[in-house]
Amino acid sequence: MWGAADRVAHVPPGPLRVRCPVALNPSTMWRMSEMTVTELVHAAAAGDSGAWNALVTRFSGLVWSVARQHRLSDADAGDVCQATWLRLVENLGALREPEAIGGWLATTVRRESLRVIKHSGRQIPTDIESQIDVCDDTATTDPDRYLIAAERQAAMRTAFASLGEACRTLLTLLNSDPPVSYAEISATLDMPVGSIGPTRARCLDRLRKSPALAGITA
Amino acid sequence: MDQPSEQDVQLLSELSAALQGYDAAPESVTDAAKAAFAWRTIDAELAALSYDSFLDDKELAGVRSGGEGARMLTFESADLTVEIEVEQGRVLGQLVPAQAGEVQVRHSGGSVTVQADERGRFSCDGVPRGPFSLRCVTSTATPIVTDWIVL
Repeated sequence: MWGAADRVAHVPPGPLRVRCPVALNPSTMWRMSEMTVTELVHAAAAGDSGAWNALVTRFSGLVWSVARQHRLSDADAGDVCQATWLRLVENLGALREPEAIGGWLATTVRRESLRVIKHSGRQIPTDIESQIDVCDDTATTDPDRYLIAAERQAAMRTAFASLGEACRTLLTLLNSDPPVSYAEISATLDMPVGSIGPTRARCLDRLRKSPALAGITA
Repeated sequence: MDQPSEQDVQLLSELSAALQGYDAAPESVTDAAKAAFAWRTIDAELAALSYDSFLDDKELAGVRSGGEGARMLTFESADLTVEIEVEQGRVLGQLVPAQAGEVQVRHSGGSVTVQADERGRFSCDGVPRGPFSLRCVTSTATPIVTDWIVL
């Protein structure tokens, strides 16, 4: 409609490539999301692979983020995450506090990450804490708060992905760092400068009203 | 050019954070995690890691940087302890108390089963780096699985 397709090359890389969530069919997803973490742990301990998959889906980002906070390579982070999940498989029935599984996972992946750091011979400062990205330690210090924020962000990405290409392109340009001028946006999207404001408001309204964000506190 | 409303500014900045701030796990990592369920063992006791030379500071002081050299690990359960030495993919192991048994070496590439002789000794070559665990079966003790670690 805007003839923007051939000009999307101007758009900075990254945010446009949002993948829509797939895999489970909607009715299964809803059933799983209604189960509490404790119920999922018990079900998985009893052999329910669907419950296991739901646990992985819910906590995979947390586990990965903690590993990456230790500045591990992709390969090492992958190994550490996998070892953590494998440990959980064997410990499912033995967890003293299933509802605190987020903390258990964070502690386990953190320990294994530190082991890998030592193995690699990297310089270990007396205070290992300083190795960790101080800016965001939420994943390990407050896994529940981290999870809530992460779920909100995931819902935001889903909502964004459900917008049409035109809105996604515009919002991405408006998000650019360093900022892109309205004149540039106008040229890139082949739309009058005066239309940008109202179109932005319309797109944000669509985003706000997206079903993916329903029930997520702003 | 109209200015965005406050709610719009807020929403835009939340969107920005969502698109850029979160380090989502790669699909391959999540898929592998789901597949980990297949490693679940039933009726085996967990043997926890009780010693790792890589975390022994006295050991580290003498080891050249880069981390190469043998790594000693001990896994303990109520009835059976496994001591292993790992170096460049070769695992040398000892069951304690010494006795014959079957040892399944589990790693990211699959698993291989070796025999422990009557003195409890076993060995295995070609073990890749990455997640690693042993499952030991003897005639006297309950089967054990060792805590997964990263080699």
